Amino acid sequence: MKKIALFILSVTLCLAACRKDEPVFDQSPDERINKTLSDYQAALVSSPTGWKATIVPGRGGIYHFYFRFNNENRVFMYADFDTVTAKYQKESSYRLKALQQPTLIFDTYSYLHLLADPDAAVNGGSYGSGLLSDFEFSLDTLYADSIILSGKMNNTKLKLEKASQQELDEWQNGEWADALSFINVAGIKNYFKRLTLNGVEYEVSVDPASRTINFQWFSGGTVKQFSTSYYFNAGGIVLESPVINGSQTISGFSDVSWNEVNQSVSLKSGNSTGVIAGAVKPLKTDINAPRRWWQTAVSDEAYWQSFAGFHANGVDDAFGINTLGKFYSLILWPEYEAGNDLFAPVFINAAGTGLELRYGAATSTPEFTADGRAVFSILGTYGTYPNTGPAAQSLIQLLIPQGYYFIQTSATSYDMVSALDAKTWITWNY
Amino acid sequence: MKSLQTLLIAFLFVAGMLSCRKDDISGNADDIPGLGGDTWVKGLIDDWIFSNLTVPYNVAVKYKWDQSEMEFNKIIVPPDEDKVLPVLSAVKQVWIDNYVAETNELFMKKYCPKFFVLAGSASWNMDGTITLGQAEGGRKILLYQLNDFRVKGMDGYQPEDSFNVKQMFHTIEHEFAHILHQNVMYPQEFKQISVGNYTSNWNNVSDEAANELGFISAYAMSFPDEDFVEMASMMLVEGRDWFNTMVNSIADEDAQSKLRQKEAMVVNYFKDVWNINFYSLQTRTRASITALVK
Repeated sequence: MKKIALFILSVTLCLAACRKDEPVFDQSPDERINKTLSDYQAALVSSPTGWKATIVPGRGGIYHFYFRFNNENRVFMYADFDTVTAKYQKESSYRLKALQQPTLIFDTYSYLHLLADPDAAVNGGSYGSGLLSDFEFSLDTLYADSIILSGKMNNTKLKLEKASQQELDEWQNGEWADALSFINVAGIKNYFKRLTLNGVEYEVSVDPASRTINFQWFSGGTVKQFSTSYYFNAGGIVLESPVINGSQTISGFSDVSWNEVNQSVSLKSGNSTGVIAGAVKPLKTDINAPRRWWQTAVSDEAYWQSFAGFHANGVDDAFGINTLGKFYSLILWPEYEAGNDLFAPVFINAAGTGLELRYGAATSTPEFTADGRAVFSILGTYGTYPNTGPAAQSLIQLLIPQGYYFIQTSATSYDMVSALDAKTWITWNY
Repeated sequence: MKSLQTLLIAFLFVAGMLSCRKDDISGNADDIPGLGGDTWVKGLIDDWIFSNLTVPYNVAVKYKWDQSEMEFNKIIVPPDEDKVLPVLSAVKQVWIDNYVAETNELFMKKYCPKFFVLAGSASWNMDGTITLGQAEGGRKILLYQLNDFRVKGMDGYQPEDSFNVKQMFHTIEHEFAHILHQNVMYPQEFKQISVGNYTSNWNNVSDEAANELGFISAYAMSFPDEDFVEMASMMLVEGRDWFNTMVNSIADEDAQSKLRQKEAMVVNYFKDVWNINFYSLQTRTRASITALVK
C-alpha cells in the first residue's frame, strides 16, 4: 500500500517536474506586433523628402504618387492623376493597424482614393468598382529604402521608394503638372485631333481613363494605325511602345504645354517640335462612307438610331433631346417612303409597351458629294414638327448646308461629324 | 498506516500545488494593439465631434476608414476630411437641434442613435442602384456619398445637389422614427389603413404609383412599420406644402383619404406619446433644410 502511494506520488511529481514551457518566440504576439508597427511607423517618417510610388490599378494604366508621412497620422500627397493632383499637395490622414497583417490604411479621402472610387464619373472606370485599386495595404516587407505593400481589396502592388530632393522638387515646381497638361488633348472640342510633327501629320485620339493613345497616319497611299498605352514622368509622356513611321520614331513627348486660347498642345518628340490641335476634316476622308451608311439601312429596310443625340462643343446631348418625356431615340430612316427619308425622335408609348412616332421631318435622299460628305435637306413634315426645343434644334443641326463626314467605327455604327467645324457629331447605331 | 496517511496528505498537497499553478500571460497585457479602438493624433474634426456630439449626446462618429463597418463585398471609399464637418453640423442643425427645440435635451440624450459611420462614395448595388444611407438596430447609422455633399455657399453647388442633402436627412429621420416607435408602438389602427396593400415587391413600384395606392413612397409599401416611419420622415424633410400638394394631386379619392388618416395618426402619435407638436417640428426641419439648399 505504502509502495503504491509512493509510486503515485513520484509519478505525479515526475510529470509535474517534466513540464517545460518554452515559447517559440521570445516575446508575446502583442509585443511583436507592436514592434513591427513601430518599425513601420519609424520607417514611414524616416524619409524627410518622402516616398515615390507607382501603382497599376486592375483596369490598367500606370500612375505615379508622391507621399510624405509625419508622426501625427498625416500624409501629404501628389499624384499624376490630373493637372490638379499633380500641382496641389493634398493633406489627408493615415494610420497603421494590426489587422490580420500589419496594415497601412489611408483612412480619409486622398488622391490615392481617386483610383479606387466606385463612382465612374470620378475616374472613368466602372460604376461600383472604379479602376480597381486600393487604399488599404498590408505591409509585406520592409527594406532599408523601400517598403513593399499589397492592397487588401484588389491586391494592387505598391512599392514605396525613398524620393530624393530633386524628385520632390519636380512635383513642387510643376514639372509633373506640365506633363499632365497633355490630357487636355482629350478636351479639344473637334472630333479630329491632329498631331503635326516635323511636317508629318497624325490623327490622334487619347483615352485618359485607360491611358491609351491611338495614332493614324497616311503612308504610301494607305492609312496605318497604331495604339499604345502611355504614362507620365516629370518630363512629359512616355509611349510604352514607340510609333515607327518610316524614318520618324515617336517614343514619347517632352516640353508639353497647353495653349488655352488656341486649344492646342505644343510638345517635342526627340528634337522635333510638334503641335496637337483640332482639325476640321479627317486625315483621309472615307469618300464612300456616307453612301454606304445610307445604303445599309435601305437594303435592310431599317433605320439608324442615336440614343445620345448630338454632341456639340464638348457637351454630350447638347440639345437635351433626352429631356423630352418618354424619349427613346433619335432616328434617321432612309427611304421611309419612296424618295424621302425620315428624321424624328421616337417615343415610348403611353402604355409602355412599344415605340411610337409623334411627328417627324421628311428629308430628301442625302446629296453625296464627291469629297465624301452627305448633305441633308428638308422636303416637308409628318404631323406638327415643333418649332422650338430639342427636336427643333436637332433638325436645324441636321440641315446645315456643309453636311457631314462619316466615320465608320464598327460594323453597325457610324459617327456623323459636322463638315462645318467638326465640333458637332452624332453616333448612329443600327 | 500512519505513514500512508502522511503520504496521502503529501500527495494531496502536491496535487493541490499543481492545480494552483497559474500561467502568467507572458509580456505586457496592458499594451495590446487596437484594444479600446483605434487611436490617432486628434485633430480639429475629432475635437468638434467630441464637444458637439459625444459630450452632449453620447454620439460617436467614425469618419476614418474601417472596412468592418461596411459590407465586405462592396467597394466604398472614405470621406474627404473637408466634408465631415459640413455634414455633421448640418445633421446637428437639421435633426438634433430641431428635436431638442420641440422637446428637451434629455429626450435626445435618451433616444438618439449613438453611432454614425461616414463614407465618401455611395454603395453600389448589384442591380445598378445605389444606397445612400443605412441603419442597423437603432444604434448605428451609415451615411454614404459625403464627397458629393454640397450645400449653398460651397464650391460647385448646383440645385441638383439638394437631392443628396434631402436624401441624407430622409435616412436620419427615417431611422430615428424607427427608434421612437420601437420604444412606444404606434396605434394598431395604423396597420389597418392599408391592410392588404403591403408587398415585398415594393421596389418594382414607382413612388407615383405608390401614392395612388395611398402610400407616401414606394418603400412605405414594404411593411406597416416602414409605412409609419416613411410618413414621418418624408413629411418632416419635404414639408407640409409638399405633402398637401402631393395628396391633392392623387386621382384616387380612397388613396387621398388613406394618406390623410395616416397623417393624422402620425401627428397624434407624436403628440400623445412624445408630447411633440409634429407640425411645428415639421416647419422647423423643413426651414433648416431650405436654409441649407436655397
